[in-house]
Amino acid sequence: MVSTVKGALFPAEGGVRERILAFLQKAISQGCFDAVLIPVRAPGTDSFTYSLVRGESLLENAYPLPPVMSVQGAKAVSSLTGHGKGKKKIAAIVRPCEARATAELFKLGQVDLENIFLISLDCPGALPLADWAKDPQKTEEAFTEILKGKASESLRPVCRICDRFSATGAEDLHIGTLGAEKGGILLIPHSPKGEGILDCLGLTTEADISAWDAAVNSLTGQRKEQRQKFMEEFKSKTAGLDNLLDTFSQCINCHNCMRVCPICYCRQCFFDSDNMKFAFADYLNRAEMAGGLRLPPETLLFHIGRMLHMSLSCVSCGACEDACPTAIPVAQVFSLVGGQNQEEFDYVPGRSRDEPPPLRVYEEDEFEEVEQSCAGASAQQEAPNA
Amino acid sequence: MAKRIGVYVCECGTNIAEKVNIDRVLAAVSPLKDVAVAERHKLLCSGDGQEFIRQSIAEHGLTHVVVAACSPKQHEVTFMNVCEKAGLNPQLFQLANIREQCAWVTSDREEATDKALRQIRAAISRVGYHAPLENKEMQCNPDVLVIGGGIAGIKASQVLAAPDRKVYLVEKTSSLGGKVKGFSKLFTNMESGPGLITKEIKSLLDNKYVEVLTESEVEQILGFLGNFEVKVIKKAEDAELDFNVGAVVLATGFELFDPTGLPRYGYGKLDDVYTSLEFEEMNIPEGPTGGKILLKNGKPPQSVAIIHCVGREEKGYCSKVCCIYSLKFDRMLKAQLPQVKVSHLYSDLCIPGKSFQKFYEDTRGLGVEFVRSAKTEVAGDGKGININYETEGGGKSELAADMVILLPAMEPASDAGKFAEMLNIPRDNKGFLVEEHQLLGPVASAVEGIFVIGCARGPQSISESIVQSEAAAGKILSALVPGRKLELEVRVSEISASFCTGCKTCLDVCPYGAITFDETRRISVVNEVLCHGCGNCAAACPSGAASLKHFTFPQIYQELKEVLR
Repeated sequence: MVSTVKGALFPAEGGVRERILAFLQKAISQGCFDAVLIPVRAPGTDSFTYSLVRGESLLENAYPLPPVMSVQGAKAVSSLTGHGKGKKKIAAIVRPCEARATAELFKLGQVDLENIFLISLDCPGALPLADWAKDPQKTEEAFTEILKGKASESLRPVCRICDRFSATGAEDLHIGTLGAEKGGILLIPHSPKGEGILDCLGLTTEADISAWDAAVNSLTGQRKEQRQKFMEEFKSKTAGLDNLLDTFSQCINCHNCMRVCPICYCRQCFFDSDNMKFAFADYLNRAEMAGGLRLPPETLLFHIGRMLHMSLSCVSCGACEDACPTAIPVAQVFSLVGGQNQEEFDYVPGRSRDEPPPLRVYEEDEFEEVEQSCAGASAQQEAPNA
Repeated sequence: MAKRIGVYVCECGTNIAEKVNIDRVLAAVSPLKDVAVAERHKLLCSGDGQEFIRQSIAEHGLTHVVVAACSPKQHEVTFMNVCEKAGLNPQLFQLANIREQCAWVTSDREEATDKALRQIRAAISRVGYHAPLENKEMQCNPDVLVIGGGIAGIKASQVLAAPDRKVYLVEKTSSLGGKVKGFSKLFTNMESGPGLITKEIKSLLDNKYVEVLTESEVEQILGFLGNFEVKVIKKAEDAELDFNVGAVVLATGFELFDPTGLPRYGYGKLDDVYTSLEFEEMNIPEGPTGGKILLKNGKPPQSVAIIHCVGREEKGYCSKVCCIYSLKFDRMLKAQLPQVKVSHLYSDLCIPGKSFQKFYEDTRGLGVEFVRSAKTEVAGDGKGININYETEGGGKSELAADMVILLPAMEPASDAGKFAEMLNIPRDNKGFLVEEHQLLGPVASAVEGIFVIGCARGPQSISESIVQSEAAAGKILSALVPGRKLELEVRVSEISASFCTGCKTCLDVCPYGAITFDETRRISVVNEVLCHGCGNCAAACPSGAASLKHFTFPQIYQELKEVLR
């Protein structure tokens, strides 16, 4: 996938976490950037949260790859820069899906990346938040095994079928750890800013990245297969209005999925607004017409509406599913619908920061088959009167 | 205040009455909430029908009106005016189209009645949510912006400029006159091009109602017929000029197809291969040779070959004036060098029109050779130029010449793309700006108030360009009458400051440049004077901040709810 890409080797010892932190520490001490936005384990607790750190607290508490995704990294970047950039240069350490969500927010004017170095990592996946809340110790042990390269059924379902777990093109710099022997990490720049970090560290892009490349390609292939197989089966269970109603029947209308979604950036959700509140008589009418009305109303419509709004930018990060108190496979549905819609537009959210979102681009000759089928349908309708 | 809705169903002669059971409709509609009166009439659009509604509004103290009749394209404005006459805000009205969309397209009377009922219920439900939008009007601006200082732009400016109409003529180069200035002679009367254009330029510069802006570029044009906001950069002074006009004339002209891309013509490689424009330049006294036809070695040519249709195949069209001006070249050559041998290599001769045939025959009489040829190739051996070609019969032949003049195709000027994008005017697949209608709207563009004349539309002769200048000027004179008021769209977009997230999607989809971004508040803002109410922003806004007045979410919901009930 990225075979033409070049990378540099940053020499470091220890586990993946130690090697990455050594790189970040060195880059800060060399003045490549001023601070790091990274998941940090609150001292003495089991909670991970994105924090701005440098120096000692970076080395002691930061976890570039925590076992869970408690806050989506793109949300952290947008809360920091959504209302304008700062003067300090910040390195944001994010998973590939978080980097892609950040790129989508960039296109929508919700982050300012001028002074942000977006750095992504090879992602082993994350475990369900619910598991972590129930038993942090057991979950952390499972994650340690995963970090060693073990495939695991305990990963979140969308992570198990994720085929975009490595460099995406949206980041300034990617940290390659897959397939790499101990002794360092690969630094793969994707922008002049990323190259600047290598210059700052005195590194050149002459490392042999073939082992990493091969490992990424092989796992991508496996995941693609798994994804296709999973989606075929999943589609048969969720497609159609009845199945969709079943899938979302447990929804308690808490809208948590919307609140944690990195792409849901509206100031107020349309579905929470007065636009979706109607007079008593309207509800009564609807109840009469349909033979009954579920209250609060619009539960499924909310999810369909969100799909309509989000699916082209959905990066399948899984935050929505983690946040669902009733274990609805929200992320899997979104991944299925998003994947199909994105394919229609040949669009991969976050693949590039310059690629405009499809709904902003008018192309005269796209979806001709839809036009033709509409024309055919209306011609048929008109035929009897003609 | 309680709503009091009046519902009027038109029989439209038999058009509606034949297919829709109006009594059943009225019986179903009358008891509905807020309906104060429901009645039928033979022909509501007639004077009698309009008076019937007006009186009924007063008699029943109505707050809203629904008319069930024909298409809003036909009579929406008629009935809105009736409301206004009765003292009701015209926006508090809704038309249900039960003729085109119901009676005319539904064969079964019962079904047609059901459908009409749904449409009328939807209109009743919707109209209760209408807001009384206030009419807005503004003074129409009679001034005109003409872009391009060639013959087309100059002539249009001359016709338009008047005491009550200022013309801004913007030319990107440092002088007026365009291509014509470089044509030493003009066909068919062999008048001097510079002589003709100098007179025209002088008359223009003497006209105090024209402001000529040379070395200037148009940066931005926003607005609509009667009200365009223009921004011009004066390059020499590095200054910006802002002004308003009511119409824009695009006379951006042409450029020649570059024959360098076709190596078989030897252009750029061989010394004495010229384009038509370079040959023209050689013939004017201010030109590089002082008006003398000379080879690079300083000697006059003994033989000249004129090659037609250079780039015609590549461009896919005939530039229609090359054959004619090449005959003019023959006259120019023979006048200066009576002994010179002139040969035309052509595939088709295009000399239409009443005066050209004689011009052609007279030119032949001067001893000019016309050779029908194909696959022409120009080569040089250091001593002279040799031209190989295929004859009409398919055989190979060759011709030696001291000088070659190529007649390249005419292309749109490089600015055509810039203006097409700035003004949302379509271009054809050759890059020329497209007229509103090839036959019926030849100088108007798809955008009201923007006109395209001369070679910006496609290859034209000088006289055709001037005809188009005057045609566009005529259209502008009749549309932009000083003192006329323009009624502005009231059903415009609005963007809620508290919902807008500043993603700028609306800026990308607005075809009228009516939305700007407020950097301090980080939200999008609508300019209601520029907004046409197309609704693109409302459809594209991902956060529900943009909405279109008169087509708000609750209004559409109320309508759909009843249609689908």
